[in-house]
Amino acid sequence: MHKFDYTQLVPSYIQAFEAYYPSKPDPELMRLYGVDHLHRLNNNENALGPPPEVAQVVEGFTPMAVPVYPNGDCFDLRQSLAERFGKDPEQFLVGNGSCEVIASVIKAFCEKGDNIITADKTFAVYEWVAEFSGFEARLIPLKDNGFDPQAMLDAMDRHTKILFVCNPNNPTGTYWDRSTMTGFLDAVDNRAVVVIDEAYCEYVENDDFPDGMALVEQYPNVVTFRTFSKMYALASLRIGYLCANPEMVGVIRRTHIVYSVNTLAQRAAAAALTNDGSFIRATRKMVREAKALLCPLFDELELTHVCGQGNYLMVKVPVSDTLMYRKLMTQGIMVRTMTGFRFPNWIRISLVQQPIMEAFCRVFRPVIEEIQGR
Amino acid sequence: MKGFDQSVSVSLAADIAWVPLVQSVVEKWAPVCGLDDSKTMMLTVAAEEIVVHLARMAPGTQVRFRLEPGGWHVRVEFSFKADASDLWAMNLVTKTDTQEEIDHLGLLVASRAVDGFTLGVEGDTLHLGLRKDRAYPIVIPETIQPVEARGELTIVRDPEPELIKVACVKALGLYPSDAVPRSFFTPGKVVDMVGQKDLDIAVAIDRSGALAGMICWQAPSEQGISFSGPYVFAKAGQAGDLLAKHLINTVARTRAMGLFSELATTSLPTADFESLGHLDQIQRDGKKSEQGVWYRHLREDMGASVWAHRAYAEFLETAYQRQVLMRDLKLIEGQGEHLPERSVFSVQLRPDAGKATLFPMVTGGDAAECIARYVEMLHREKFSNIFIRIDLAHGWQAAMGKAIMDNGFVPKLVLPYGGKSDILVFQHA
Repeated sequence: MHKFDYTQLVPSYIQAFEAYYPSKPDPELMRLYGVDHLHRLNNNENALGPPPEVAQVVEGFTPMAVPVYPNGDCFDLRQSLAERFGKDPEQFLVGNGSCEVIASVIKAFCEKGDNIITADKTFAVYEWVAEFSGFEARLIPLKDNGFDPQAMLDAMDRHTKILFVCNPNNPTGTYWDRSTMTGFLDAVDNRAVVVIDEAYCEYVENDDFPDGMALVEQYPNVVTFRTFSKMYALASLRIGYLCANPEMVGVIRRTHIVYSVNTLAQRAAAAALTNDGSFIRATRKMVREAKALLCPLFDELELTHVCGQGNYLMVKVPVSDTLMYRKLMTQGIMVRTMTGFRFPNWIRISLVQQPIMEAFCRVFRPVIEEIQGR
Repeated sequence: MKGFDQSVSVSLAADIAWVPLVQSVVEKWAPVCGLDDSKTMMLTVAAEEIVVHLARMAPGTQVRFRLEPGGWHVRVEFSFKADASDLWAMNLVTKTDTQEEIDHLGLLVASRAVDGFTLGVEGDTLHLGLRKDRAYPIVIPETIQPVEARGELTIVRDPEPELIKVACVKALGLYPSDAVPRSFFTPGKVVDMVGQKDLDIAVAIDRSGALAGMICWQAPSEQGISFSGPYVFAKAGQAGDLLAKHLINTVARTRAMGLFSELATTSLPTADFESLGHLDQIQRDGKKSEQGVWYRHLREDMGASVWAHRAYAEFLETAYQRQVLMRDLKLIEGQGEHLPERSVFSVQLRPDAGKATLFPMVTGGDAAECIARYVEMLHREKFSNIFIRIDLAHGWQAAMGKAIMDNGFVPKLVLPYGGKSDILVFQHA
């Protein structure tokens, strides 16, 4: 019998692709770094926890619900979304986090030789899914820390199927205002699908922020992504969705895995939508207070920082970001290094409650001062 | 023929009768892959000696050998079942005093006839790889002076061969020879290494298209990337900074965990890196200098476990603490278990810099004695800078600590993720 040589079976674009390894569980990290606590400021989670309506659902979830398959296409949740946004349930597709709907859209529209366009310094999953599916990801450099609409248009060719716009952008927090967005969509002129990823839209308070849900009605080529992981704090349940015109959704549905969203996630997401808005207001207040604490500190330490929309900000540190990560970890603070985002020497910090932000400041200041030789 | 698999595989029994076939295959194949007559002959001799050795020591053993073109080199890999320790005569320091040593002379001939060898163990199967490099014209550098850069500098990501060759010559003209990779003396080889993806190069040019600098890097292991440079050819401008940042951004989303310098220059923006310490350099004229070694972690470190011997455990603890790297040290204790009788080391030599680096392939009971013989030979041949690198992923390598240190080596620095795990570098004091 021949020796099994799996490498001969692996496509070249998979051989060239590097798997992403997420961080180890907290207890293991705490053991490694010798700390008795760990403040996770690396994943932009909402540290307030989910809205109270979700807590009721979680507490009421009985063991007898476990043996039963979830609804295969999130029927009830899509009804709730339709009601919440004044749309048809057929305009929604729910996935196991936004990552799953990213993959569904790419699979639905791209074939060999096609490309997608996005920014070089943004949420990496658009690029990853395209590349490990064998499609080219054209990465356009950010301009003034924001997506560059003209450069994205210039990069289009007849093989461009999807343009991904992260609005507001993770990790820079910049966003396209309404006029920039509609100008871009007009210029695309229905030649390709435009995905507007609004994972952090609920954090934006500015009036000129474009509403992706409304754009779906104006532009037939727009697909809007949203998630329950960020503002609504359902990250561990993994649930996100897309909204587009029903015909587009019908096509994307063909590549979308059914039954991938569990029952608790579906019920919790529907419950989150019933909150009267007080939860969002409380979260926004928490984020504003955190920014008010951190930005002056960075100014005082003469560190360049980028503080835009979203529950995160970035700061450039005077050493390698990965060394800074390790130094902070030894004090029980976990941040996101940005070398992998192509922002070497920057770290991204999730904005959470005041006491934890104060703990961060207490640890961060002496580390920086030591490096700066103060 | 480019793009086709031009490798050749042969399976045979270890028997003298097959030697002419082995000779013939290597003789016919190696020139097609670019080896000249002289180098083909040496590779043929090496391959022949391996088969003769196996035919004598393990007659009838199945031997698979595979010939692989590598662009700038060719490689022959033998796979067979044997005790790795039986290959002790691959050591360059093998003597020919006893009958046993004379019987193993063929292996010594083989190791001296090639430019490098590797020895891998997979269960009870050994993989012995022999590498023979192609011949390239050697350039004789002329000292030059840096020139003013004109306008903004930009990076050329995939420089064309002519640009690579000019950059090599410029680096040789502006930097001491021991500050540049040896391959720069053969720019054609560098071009072929880049073409083979065994080396990456980026160059910086000014607005007029004139070369302003270069940096090169390669992956000695799956997790580690080593770089040399940046070599800056322009007086003004930020070529060093630009090239280093380009390197970081290029490797940031690869599978590598760490990026460390092999030959760092003073143009490296050290604020972007962490110091791992330095290696001492004794130059040909006896002058001493220090080669700083710089590191950058490319991801969030999730810690690791490494093997360690008590002889250097304290050094490791201090180094890891300084580098804020979380490591569980697994101390090695000899429990009287059987060890292979003999050790095998491969050696990387850089005569022009008086530098030799030993890599353990097999640890045997004679490790200390074997190292001592190497040190004696290398000193005799005027190698003043002698290093041993061990991979702490392997308990059998880590266990050599005492044998290494008893021979006058001191632990100098740790290269995180420099091999399968961290590499501990010893230097002969």
